Amino acid sequence: MTASNWARLFLICVVAFILQVGLVDQVVVAGYHADVMVLLAAGAGLIGGPQRGAVTGFVAGLLADLALPTPYGLSALTFVLVGFTAGLLAAPRATESLLARGLTCLVCGAAGTLLYAFLAALIGQSGMLTSSTLEATVAVAAGGLVLSWPSLVALSWAFATPRGLGDRHVVPSGGSATL
Amino acid sequence: MATTRRTSQRVTLLMLVLASITVLTLDYHGEANKVITSVRNRVGDGLSPIQRAIAAVLHPIGDAVSGAFHYGAVQQQNQVLMNEIGTMRRELAANNQASAEARSVLALDHLPWVGNLTPLDAVVLAGPSSNFEYTMEIDRGSSSGVAAGMPVVGASGFVGTVVSTGANHAVVRLLQDPRSTIGVRIGDRGTDLGIVTGAGRHANLAVTLFSSHTPIHKGELVYTSGTSGSGVSAYPAGIPVATVTSVHATTGGLGVTVSLRPLVDPTTLEYVAVLLWTPPA
Repeated sequence: MTASNWARLFLICVVAFILQVGLVDQVVVAGYHADVMVLLAAGAGLIGGPQRGAVTGFVAGLLADLALPTPYGLSALTFVLVGFTAGLLAAPRATESLLARGLTCLVCGAAGTLLYAFLAALIGQSGMLTSSTLEATVAVAAGGLVLSWPSLVALSWAFATPRGLGDRHVVPSGGSATL
Repeated sequence: MATTRRTSQRVTLLMLVLASITVLTLDYHGEANKVITSVRNRVGDGLSPIQRAIAAVLHPIGDAVSGAFHYGAVQQQNQVLMNEIGTMRRELAANNQASAEARSVLALDHLPWVGNLTPLDAVVLAGPSSNFEYTMEIDRGSSSGVAAGMPVVGASGFVGTVVSTGANHAVVRLLQDPRSTIGVRIGDRGTDLGIVTGAGRHANLAVTLFSSHTPIHKGELVYTSGTSGSGVSAYPAGIPVATVTSVHATTGGLGVTVSLRPLVDPTTLEYVAVLLWTPPA
């Protein structure tokens, strides 16, 4: 990955964070809203492999934590694990379609929500593992139906080889490119 | 090659997990809490205009969607709110009316021109039962000391004369009644005397001047003169009766025709005061 790819990735994370706080957080259905940031971590893992997924998850998590009342770094830890795991899941199926990746991204995002609640409960945050945790997970999954594909498209752009450095292509899943 | 890659991936994961846990620990145990809180606050401040702008656009859409999903509940809530608004409007109207009534009664208790006379507040019960009468009925009668011949006033001035009484009610002949005749003076001058006669519901009062030594001006007040005579009822002097609306010289220039408008519109009265004053025998 070049400096340009990192810049694009960081830009996507910042834009996603602004969209999350400014827009997505305000689209509330039955008390819950979607989560772009966790989808970004999962999507990065699916497209760029475990390492890029983990790094993207770390950056996205640190940004997401700025808007959350929970201990700083909790989202970063969660998203690192989500991004890495999504990368491992995607590795054997590098040629999967965007539709399949979108669905995998959605599932990983939902799993990340559960993981976040579990880790929060583990460090002593009260009220994290309740029936509403499942409802929030469903809400994130439902939101993923809309938000997964735009996230994947944006991440494909971020990980693509910039013009002039070779053919424009998406780096195959599985982390074959060097970080 | 694959082993190296896997090792690299694991090292990266380990480093990032450790970094996350370090940040988490620093915040959780308070060492970096102030800095993180400060950064969070600044980010919140920076994003709040965006949030407000988006909220301004999204909330109407969200409300519409929510309204569509919860149509029944919204309709029910709307009905409840409409009922509450109706109740509040009724209460407001009642309060306004009570306030207006209180002001009317208060005004009757502070009539500046009654002098030593005692005003007795009364509620107007009804107007005339016939369209051709100029009377009103009040809720005070002989049991309250009201007697025929007593003047009845409103906050602005003369209303009429008590013509008959029951124990708890009295009938008042209004100033507009053609049978009402009142001795008056124009302005503060004791010299311009005359008699005012009622001329019906909407007509101006007719006035007959005995003498006029000074020019009469439009807008001047006309008061009871306190004089009485043949066919002219006696009243205490100084009660405002009417205002001069026009003054015209008669043919030949030997006199003037003065037109008066009563100060009190009896159709709007709810409270009056009976001046407990007995006409001289």
